[in-house]
Amino acid sequence: MEIFYLIYVLAFIVGSIGGLLLSYKKHMEPFIISEIDVLYLVLSIIGWILFINHSLFAGLIPVFVPITIGLLLIGLVIGARPGYGRKESIIGILIAGIIYLLKFLLF
Amino acid sequence: MYLMADILINVILAFLTGSLLLGFHRKVMARIQLRPGPPIIQYLLHSLKFFFKETSFPKTASMPFYIGIVVILAGIWVTGIIVGPVTKGSLMIIFGIYAIHKIVEHNSGSSSGSPYGKLSCVRAVFSAAGELPLFAGIAIIYFVCGSMNISDIIAYQSIHGALIFKAPFAALMFFTLILTKSPYSPFAITKGKDIVSGFETEHYGFLRGYIMFSESIAWYVLLWLFLTIFFGPIGILGYVVGMIIITAITAFINATTPMLNPNHSVMLQFTITLVCLIGSIVLLVL
Repeated sequence: MEIFYLIYVLAFIVGSIGGLLLSYKKHMEPFIISEIDVLYLVLSIIGWILFINHSLFAGLIPVFVPITIGLLLIGLVIGARPGYGRKESIIGILIAGIIYLLKFLLF
Repeated sequence: MYLMADILINVILAFLTGSLLLGFHRKVMARIQLRPGPPIIQYLLHSLKFFFKETSFPKTASMPFYIGIVVILAGIWVTGIIVGPVTKGSLMIIFGIYAIHKIVEHNSGSSSGSPYGKLSCVRAVFSAAGELPLFAGIAIIYFVCGSMNISDIIAYQSIHGALIFKAPFAALMFFTLILTKSPYSPFAITKGKDIVSGFETEHYGFLRGYIMFSESIAWYVLLWLFLTIFFGPIGILGYVVGMIIITAITAFINATTPMLNPNHSVMLQFTITLVCLIGSIVLLVL
């Protein structure tokens, strides 16, 4: 079982390193731009939905696949340069949480 | 064969998770101090970076000890993984590992030949007081559960409920130990900033990499032990949430508390142990 946990941690770390490199490539300016980045927002929403609602894909694909991809995408956004990716992550968590609650209440 | 694979996976997992948690610790401390702080993976990147940096050796160092001691440090915390998450063995071995950790701090400081290291070496003897809460906590757990084996303690909790409700003072003592081991802790007298980085000051390159590797594993092992001993079988989500919460609490305490001087640190640890020990005995009798 621990091998899956190791895969999850590695996916998050790879995502974080990728996110850090990507954000420094994108934003070299010495100040923080506080506007929401659409790319990060999309990655965050997809990542958090895959991570929190991985049970939606049960039966279609092995359950560790959406969790791993989700953590990779979450890492890409959370691991961004300090000051970036916060709002996007919160919106992603909220949307994924709402979908989880809807699923919980409806089924 | 499977045991070896299990150990290897758990060691890598502990190193990576511990590094992320220590990075998170630093981030929380920074946010409390109104700084953006480094990314969460910074601690991990630093650890890996040190393995590829040039290593220089002080002329004053006692070479076999100077190099061997960091290998021992890594070795004891890998043993911690084997005794803890892998085999769920005896808490007495964990106590022994923590005792050796103090000896490693002592010898690491003295072997470098640096005055900062030597002061840290002396403080490591003082800070053996940090073992008092651990030993008292283990004794209380033994009286409650009748065993020191982690697997027996888990089995006890699955029947009788979490130990934190039965032995809250023992949990407080164990938490004091975790706080002592956390970075920038008020009790971290061996690494006080008045002596630069204490016993680590003269360890560069891959030697520092080994120390950081061991510290991440130590952090993971201590948090795993605390959650396992006092909360019982909590599952992966419980461990993740628990580790994050405890790391955030220690970060909050460390960000808002100055480092104590050695005398105050030892006396405070001793007082906490005494009060919690008396409290635990009263609870046991009642």
